[in-house]
Amino acid sequence: MTVLDEMRDYPGARKGEPHKSFEEVWAQPPGLKVLSSVSHRVVGKRFIATGFIFFLIAGFLALLVRTQLIVPGNTFLDAETYNQVFTMHGSLMMFLFAIPILEGFAVYLIPLMLGARDLIFPRLGQFGYYCYLLGGIIVLSSFIFDAAPAGGWFMYTPLSTSEYTPGLSADFWLIGITFAEIASVTAAVELIAAILCARAPGMSLTKMPVFAWYILITAFMIAIGFPPLIMGSILLETQRLLGLPFFDPALGGDPLLWQHLFWLFGHPEVYIIFLPAAGMVSTILPTFVGKPLFGYGFVVAAVVSMGFISFGLWAHHMFATGLPILSLSLFSAASTMVAVPTGIQIFAWIATLAQGRPRLTVPMLFVLGFLFIFVLGGLTGVMLASVPFNWQAHDSYFVVAHLHYVLIGGMVFPLFGAFYYWAPHFTGRMMSETLGKWVFWLMFIGFNVTFFTMHLTGLRGMPRRISTYPEGIGWDRLNLISTLGSYVLAAGVLLFIVDFLRHRRSGPPAGRNPWGAGTLEWLYPTVTPGFNFHAIPPVTSREPLWDQPELNDREAPTVEGILNVMTDGRRETVGCDPVTGEPIQILRLPHPTWIPMFSAVMVAILFGATLASAYWLCAVGAVGALLGFALWGWEPSDSGVTRFAGLGHRLPVNAIDRRSHMHVGLIGTLLILFALFGSVVFGGLFLWNTQPEFADATARPVQLWAALTGAGGLLVALFAVAARNAAMASRFAGAAGLGVLTAAFAAATAWGFWLTLLPVDPWGTALGAVLWAMSGFVAALLGTVVFWALFNVARKLASAVQPGQAMADFQLAGFAKGTGLMTIAAAGLLLACALGGVG
Amino acid sequence: MNSELGEFGAQSALVAAGQNAEWALWLTVLMTIAGGVIFLFVLWAIASAWRSDGGGRTWWIVGGGVIFPIVTLAVLFALSTFALRAIAGPQDEELVIEVTGHQYWWDVVYDPEGVALRDANEVFLPVGRPVTLRLKSDDVIHSFWVPSIAGKMDMIPGRVNELTVTATEVGRYRGQCAEFCGLSHPLMSFEAVALEPEAFATFLGNLQGEARDPVRPQERQGQEVFVEAGCPACHTIRGVAEGAQIGPDLTRVGGRASLGAGMWEMNLGNLAGWISDVQDMKPGAEMPSYNHLSGPDLRAVAAYLESLSQ
Repeated sequence: MTVLDEMRDYPGARKGEPHKSFEEVWAQPPGLKVLSSVSHRVVGKRFIATGFIFFLIAGFLALLVRTQLIVPGNTFLDAETYNQVFTMHGSLMMFLFAIPILEGFAVYLIPLMLGARDLIFPRLGQFGYYCYLLGGIIVLSSFIFDAAPAGGWFMYTPLSTSEYTPGLSADFWLIGITFAEIASVTAAVELIAAILCARAPGMSLTKMPVFAWYILITAFMIAIGFPPLIMGSILLETQRLLGLPFFDPALGGDPLLWQHLFWLFGHPEVYIIFLPAAGMVSTILPTFVGKPLFGYGFVVAAVVSMGFISFGLWAHHMFATGLPILSLSLFSAASTMVAVPTGIQIFAWIATLAQGRPRLTVPMLFVLGFLFIFVLGGLTGVMLASVPFNWQAHDSYFVVAHLHYVLIGGMVFPLFGAFYYWAPHFTGRMMSETLGKWVFWLMFIGFNVTFFTMHLTGLRGMPRRISTYPEGIGWDRLNLISTLGSYVLAAGVLLFIVDFLRHRRSGPPAGRNPWGAGTLEWLYPTVTPGFNFHAIPPVTSREPLWDQPELNDREAPTVEGILNVMTDGRRETVGCDPVTGEPIQILRLPHPTWIPMFSAVMVAILFGATLASAYWLCAVGAVGALLGFALWGWEPSDSGVTRFAGLGHRLPVNAIDRRSHMHVGLIGTLLILFALFGSVVFGGLFLWNTQPEFADATARPVQLWAALTGAGGLLVALFAVAARNAAMASRFAGAAGLGVLTAAFAAATAWGFWLTLLPVDPWGTALGAVLWAMSGFVAALLGTVVFWALFNVARKLASAVQPGQAMADFQLAGFAKGTGLMTIAAAGLLLACALGGVG
Repeated sequence: MNSELGEFGAQSALVAAGQNAEWALWLTVLMTIAGGVIFLFVLWAIASAWRSDGGGRTWWIVGGGVIFPIVTLAVLFALSTFALRAIAGPQDEELVIEVTGHQYWWDVVYDPEGVALRDANEVFLPVGRPVTLRLKSDDVIHSFWVPSIAGKMDMIPGRVNELTVTATEVGRYRGQCAEFCGLSHPLMSFEAVALEPEAFATFLGNLQGEARDPVRPQERQGQEVFVEAGCPACHTIRGVAEGAQIGPDLTRVGGRASLGAGMWEMNLGNLAGWISDVQDMKPGAEMPSYNHLSGPDLRAVAAYLESLSQ
């Protein structure tokens, strides 16, 4: 279905700031109002700065760890503090530094590289940032309440259950981290939609800068990889708060279920961290060779296959849990296979190096350092895939060495290279080549001294996560060396901060394209204006600045392109066909607003109040958040009109179309929801398989209600589709009626789950609890359908929408189809239980 | 911490004294050499690519990134699977030792389905004979690891994991919990003692009897204190107080080389310190500090426990 051919004229003046100039429309709000900014440049830089602060905090904690271990039997930290310190070190580094800072770079760079004026869900970016910030603050505040998590960043059950970890420490972790993860998944949706739907004219998928490919795959991996942990955290927090026995072996739960869910997230996480950094390498390295990346197609294929393979390796973190030999062999083979796409990328970089005469700049030094360290980390990774070796090395310092080689080598070194490379873009000034070399060598030497030593420490039998060790076992000198090395590494980071602060004031001005790069973000002299492009130039090459002389021959603001005129005083960028990159629509972008921030604060109240067990306050947060979301969506999109866009294009505004950004964003969201649903279903099937006697002991759901609930799911989807069809035909009365029916059936279906499960005691067995959790999740989605359908009805009744503006109905139909599918699947599983299939 | 654990023997995967550890060490050496060669090759490739100009061929990517890793990994996978089969293949299950992890000590039962001889914090193994370790946990997840004998295996509540090991050399080998298990996780170690088969048989024989009777008056007083202070609520001393299994079995406690799960040398001073100050020496342990015992009582009970060697 498409309305592209329905060319209609714009009826008259509407929202927008037509009295303002293009520059004024895109200007940052002044003073404190800048907090309401939705610009990807501002949000991206905030992600980067906040992530870097968490990096410094987590790095400081690492120095405490190293200082404690400098001599045997040290009393610098007591055991409790040490456990808190290493737990927070890992958690902050993984959840609040690595992912957010890389997403920050992506949020900042993607529109600039692809020829867009902003990401296409800018408010979602602002919302995500505040979720991240507030979630991070919740996690950190645990130190103030003397309740810092001390169960390890992996939070294994039963140690993390309330029986063995009373108090709030584990709750701080589960609630704060889950809240911060909202930012990761919203950024994923945002990046998927932006990369697929907002590229410069002519930028087909095959002409996309390789960095965008890396980010696209990473974003899909986040959408699928984070849900298992989010669902696992919800289950564990429910167990802590309400005593549901998901992981309790006495009632048919299984501690291994937590490990599976955790590593289903945790392993892809490693690649989620590595891939954007590898994308930076694939961007930086060709610039300094002066030649395009060799083997672009191979690299893209390698990145895609890495995305798939990474979801098949999780159990190699669990080789010592007593898995059957066959599983061990399969996961071992899968783990070694990931060396192939890694090898392809490494040899593609080597082949690129051979293409020209590389320049040894500071970013390039960090790329070389990355290659050195990461190749070593990859080789020890292959060693660890060998099961008999893994049994020795697992949970020893060998693994600590390996994971830091992969993560610091694979992520931190490219990141620092990226800082040196893109700093001129952030600040308009160059960082110091001299200081940069010192930073590199201090970090490189410090890193290798610290962590290379640990391979040996681990083989000599030192386990991870021990706050002290007796002398005379053969670990004393090795630990001393590691600790000294860590101070050198820290000195390098410190010097970097000095250089960064210094260059903002006294670095030499960068000018236009200081490194002679080929990608579009360097089109303007730094600092690029906030709207990125006066006109969005057509792109015919992967390195437009190298191959399209018309971009370099003229002053950047006079470069010709699409959307060179602004109408209606609205922020706009061009929307493209996801594959060919041809312009198909004009995307109207939101102006600065406080609503996403308000919604994030309300969600923070909801989470924080749960932590404080102030349940009335939870209700306030929940209602406030719903209000925020309603306000957010109230103003309808400008669909239904067409405008001239320059370069001979006449394009619809915010087209209601399967190829449109909203639909792509919806698919990304559904992917996340399906992954959440899949995680809880996995839990049910896992327990059914491993604890059959408890499955037998679980009471049967009601067959009739299960069948009716499934039918209800189908009806919800059908009514939502009918409401969409009516709305798209501008039959608003009919659409409103069908919307009410959609809401009613969704509510009835959610009630159906309740009736189906009445005989099942969620406190009786873990399987019973999982069935309730699964149904509760689907019921929450049905609740969203109710809310959304009533929202659509209210907007029509209030005459807030005009003919053509059926975006919300179009989107709801897609959402209801997904929800209907999950309802039918959940009801089917309950019916299978009821018919005795489970028992 | 006045430990002298150097005497307790190696805790190193590089000192192999068991079949599993030997296989793993062999793989370690092999993979380290192969990995080193590959690493040097990649460095060389980078260096020559850096110097060359206008090179760069597709076959580099196909050769270096696809064919080479697949061939190498296939070889490695075959070797490692072979080693895995050798380690984990079906083995004679005559001798079973059940080890249960607790926060923060090890309950050890020899022949759990037969005579069920209970001991703690030391695992004796006969050299040259496969032993099936049945690994369980009573609270949180622990992991059983004696690097010189075998790789680690987790002890998971609600599950029983089996690990078959064959010690190959007589000696004492330190082991340690390898899965983070709480506050005193670093203080949860133990010893594996590999004995000649005859010596092992003697050890098992000695383990069957009741505890040694107190001889000296102080030891007799110590036994009384032991009973009166309520120790039998958790600890068993066969022939004196039986049944309780909450804490380690103390029937031959004085015969162990170490105290507090492989952490301190077994002697009178450490024993007295331990009883009166457990929570200081091992924070979070289930046993409270018995700091209300009078000096003479404390010395007596320590002397009694030290005398319990078979």
